Amino acid sequence: MNPSDRSLLALVSTRDPWWLLVLVLSGCVAAAAGLLLPDAVARAVDAVLDGGGVTSAVLWFAALAAVEVVADVLDVIARARTTSSGTAWLRHRLSGHLLALGTRRRFASGDAVSRLTTDCAEAGGVSVTVVRLALAALTSLGSVVALALLDWRLAMVFLAGVPVALLLAGTHLRQTADDVAAYQRVSGELSARLLDAMRGVRTIAASGTAEQETARVLRPLPRLAAAGTGMWRAQSRMVWRAALLLPAVELAVLITAGFSLAAGRLSTGQVLGALGYVVLGMSLVRQAPLLTALARARAGAARIAEVLDTPPPRRGAQHPPPGPGRVELRGVGVLPDVLRDVDLVVPAGAFVVVVGASGSGKSALTSVLGGLLEPDTGRVLLDGRPLQETSAGAVFGHAFDRPALLGRTVADAVACGTSADRSRVRAACRAAQVHDVVVRLPEGYDTPLALTPLSGGEAQRLGLARAIVRDPRVLVLDDATASLDAVTESGVSRAIDEALPGRTRVVTTHRVTTAERADLVVWLERGRVRRSGPHEVLWEDPEYRAVFAEARG
Amino acid sequence: MTAVRMYVDALAGQRREALALLGWSLLEGVPALLSGRLVALAVDRGFAAGEPWTGVAWLVAFGVTAVLGAVGSRLVFRQLGAVVEPMRDALVAVVVRGVLRGGNGARSRPDAGGVARLTRHVEVVRDVTAGLLVQSRSLLVTTVAALVGIFGTAGELAWPVTLPVLLALLLFALLLRTLAARQRDLVLADERIAEVAGTVQSGVRDVVACGAQDEAGRAVAAEVDAQAAAAVRLARAGALRTLVVAVGGYAPLVLVLAVAPGLVASGRLTAGAVLGTVVYLTTNLQPALLGLAESTGSAVLRLVVTLRRLSEAATAPAPATGALVPSGSAIGVRGLTFGYGAHAEPVVRDLDLDLRPGDHLAVIGPSGIGKSTLAGLLVGLERPDRGHVLLGGVPVHEVAPAVRHRIVALVPQEAYVFTGTVRDNLALFAPDACDEDLLAAVEAVGAGDLVRGLGGLSGEVGHGDLSTGQAQLLAAARVHASPADVVVLDEATSSLDAAAEAVVERAFAERGGVLVVIAHRLSSALRADRVLVMDGGTPLLGEHGELLATSPLYADLMRAWTGPNAVHP
Repeated sequence: MNPSDRSLLALVSTRDPWWLLVLVLSGCVAAAAGLLLPDAVARAVDAVLDGGGVTSAVLWFAALAAVEVVADVLDVIARARTTSSGTAWLRHRLSGHLLALGTRRRFASGDAVSRLTTDCAEAGGVSVTVVRLALAALTSLGSVVALALLDWRLAMVFLAGVPVALLLAGTHLRQTADDVAAYQRVSGELSARLLDAMRGVRTIAASGTAEQETARVLRPLPRLAAAGTGMWRAQSRMVWRAALLLPAVELAVLITAGFSLAAGRLSTGQVLGALGYVVLGMSLVRQAPLLTALARARAGAARIAEVLDTPPPRRGAQHPPPGPGRVELRGVGVLPDVLRDVDLVVPAGAFVVVVGASGSGKSALTSVLGGLLEPDTGRVLLDGRPLQETSAGAVFGHAFDRPALLGRTVADAVACGTSADRSRVRAACRAAQVHDVVVRLPEGYDTPLALTPLSGGEAQRLGLARAIVRDPRVLVLDDATASLDAVTESGVSRAIDEALPGRTRVVTTHRVTTAERADLVVWLERGRVRRSGPHEVLWEDPEYRAVFAEARG
Repeated sequence: MTAVRMYVDALAGQRREALALLGWSLLEGVPALLSGRLVALAVDRGFAAGEPWTGVAWLVAFGVTAVLGAVGSRLVFRQLGAVVEPMRDALVAVVVRGVLRGGNGARSRPDAGGVARLTRHVEVVRDVTAGLLVQSRSLLVTTVAALVGIFGTAGELAWPVTLPVLLALLLFALLLRTLAARQRDLVLADERIAEVAGTVQSGVRDVVACGAQDEAGRAVAAEVDAQAAAAVRLARAGALRTLVVAVGGYAPLVLVLAVAPGLVASGRLTAGAVLGTVVYLTTNLQPALLGLAESTGSAVLRLVVTLRRLSEAATAPAPATGALVPSGSAIGVRGLTFGYGAHAEPVVRDLDLDLRPGDHLAVIGPSGIGKSTLAGLLVGLERPDRGHVLLGGVPVHEVAPAVRHRIVALVPQEAYVFTGTVRDNLALFAPDACDEDLLAAVEAVGAGDLVRGLGGLSGEVGHGDLSTGQAQLLAAARVHASPADVVVLDEATSSLDAAAEAVVERAFAERGGVLVVIAHRLSSALRADRVLVMDGGTPLLGEHGELLATSPLYADLMRAWTGPNAVHP
């Protein structure tokens, strides 16, 4: 564990110092009461059997039990408090940092979410795990001491039984590994079959073959059941041994205690007490899951620290001064070999089209140009000022091939990051040719996004509306109309001309019709600018024409 | 379907296995039943009576019961598989059936995350059921065995022991409703974090592009705080549960110790009986109750919450009914109107249309305007709000389902290809077709090279190893080989190039019957006898030449398209 993980766990634990104190105190009090209870039972039983004064012994027992109950109750709340405050603190930090990293992060989105949900929850529970482990160890130790105080022979017999217990605890995982692997494999196959069938759900609905296809999806099920049964068999072997463990130790201690009773070294009540301490002492064996939880907390902390230790990109806070929208790239490179030595001037108000085969760096180029991605080498200038020095977000309007729509409703998704009101949202949607689609949704613009499965083309047009509503100085469209049919696409293009006249536009495309309309075409090949110029000039080059041939179909 | 009903149904098949489980449980409960009594005898007749070897003998008997109990445990676990695995099988079947029946809406889309979630939910139900059967069952057996043991050892102490336990269990049961609600809130809060953070993180490029970092950060932070608050609220209810059950566990001991002296003094109770009772209470009953509070409660709640989610997924609309038999396969559409909600613009409005065998119609219009919905209405997947779709003179959704599915076929944009041979896939709607028929259909739609590349009819296709275009070709061949008289191609060739698309459409046109093509490209319109133009208003129907004159939209579309046509064959 490196220092930053450890300090992270230390920070997590002390997020809520008062509840941490309650956690430790209630745990200690409960442990102490738990250790005194078997002794109190022994005294009370002896008092009952002696026929003497029983009241004080019973009261003492009742008081201890009450303390134990109260401490347990407090413990439940303290555990939740410390865990939830630690977890929430980690999540706030991690989420903030991930957003600050922005597009520069190396973490896939699913990975980022699992760090935010699972790892934070596991690392957030670290203080509870540590306190519980420590107290369980203390309780077991205390039980051995209590046994020794009753009669040193009891403690010796008990300690002889413990190694056997620990030996048994470790054998489970190896035995079931094969069946677990088989189970997961078949389960995955079922999921894949279900996903196939869900892709074809319209075919299935239209042909009324749901029953037949259900049977087809379920075909691997018997193998799943077989693997599952294997897991249960392995577990039953394990359980058999575990079920013998506690009685074996109990039996050994009881026989020893019996002889001590016969020899007059112990009272009847103390035999009972010994039994109580055996049960208490063995409880440590059942705490094995806490060790796993601790290991997970450490692993979680390491994964969180990995994100937090990644420095966010530098970014100026100043709003860029007004300008016509001229963008210049000087010697721009993005590692590894995504872009190399790109020099490019996008004149103010120009319509620039970027073409190239898939993987030629078109998306990287538009991302760098629009300030989404910081280049590893070179500079980007907006109206003569380095992009890095400004908060360029407000100046660029980006639209993508597959936009991620954010916000609760359709209207929120379009207005995202701006304070645009409904009429501006509506106007932008009209320009993006998606207004007619939105008004046909169950609640129009107020339809929740979660209940709106959008086709690729519909999502693209909402993404376009989102770029348009910002009224940007430079519009950057990264394959943003790829899913639209030719008709809709030309409509969108015309409507943008009307909505944002004279605006600088940088567009990546596979379509020759789009390139035909451009003032300037930039032809990218393997991260470099192969050629640039008017479409008609480039068109004479057969290799340029081949770029569009590849994209068709 | 309600969650409880679904669960009970899934478990109901395993009655005999469950009975066997109960039988082994009784064996597992032997130590709990006899332990106190045997320890009491060992002390009374052996160690305390100066005959330690007699004591040892009784303790050995105690050991034997422990071995019996362990044997019981082993058998219980083997039996668990026989109960839990078939239950999981039944549950998976219900869910899969529900999912495949449920998704006939034109707007539903497959979702890998949803499948993963369903799989996880089923596993949770399996694990929790097993956990409940292991723990709750053993806790219950232990509690009952200990109570029986106490009754046998010291009947006089029965009430002081039983009353507090029953009271605690009653209060615990009353608390369950609150606990369930809080637990559900927490599960939902957890899911919300994953959902909101997932949207933000998978769209981080868009967040940055919109400059919406603060907005996105606040959205995630709000869910994080809500989850923390839900966790604390659950813990408060949990603390109350701990209080109730712990008091129920300790109170019997206190009461026994308080009343025992009097009973011993009056000779109604022996010392050994008191000892045995205390052994029952401290080593069996109390741990069982605490375990109940700690594990069983939350397990039941997790089960309830997960089952509810599963049952939502498994709830399918009732299968189609209808008994009418159409005469012929002509389609008649009269005043058809359909929309997706009370506040929504209708997708189709006042449409009239007649299609006879041999007719070839193309439907064109901007994407998202409702062309797929029209396809769904024509084949009876959707019910019109107003007006009728008639098949052979009778409303299409009242036609006997088996007849309708034989006459009408829809080929959607999302082609269905399942794991199996090419032959299985092609013969889906024509189970009796011979290889020659299937191969003829394959050649007709231009899928010959594809099928040969896959290894012929016996070649295997699997999850996603075909491109969307290849999958669309197979789906087209499948319907071509089917007996359907009415074929609706709903952008069914969108991923093919224009030439391959033309081959498919001509193959269906030559096949006879009614052909409706929801067009992805305008070239589809030129091949059709008639064209339906949908632009959000009243649909316009006519031949190509007429529409150029009557529909400005159609004329515009054609102009826009014939330009690029020079370079876009």
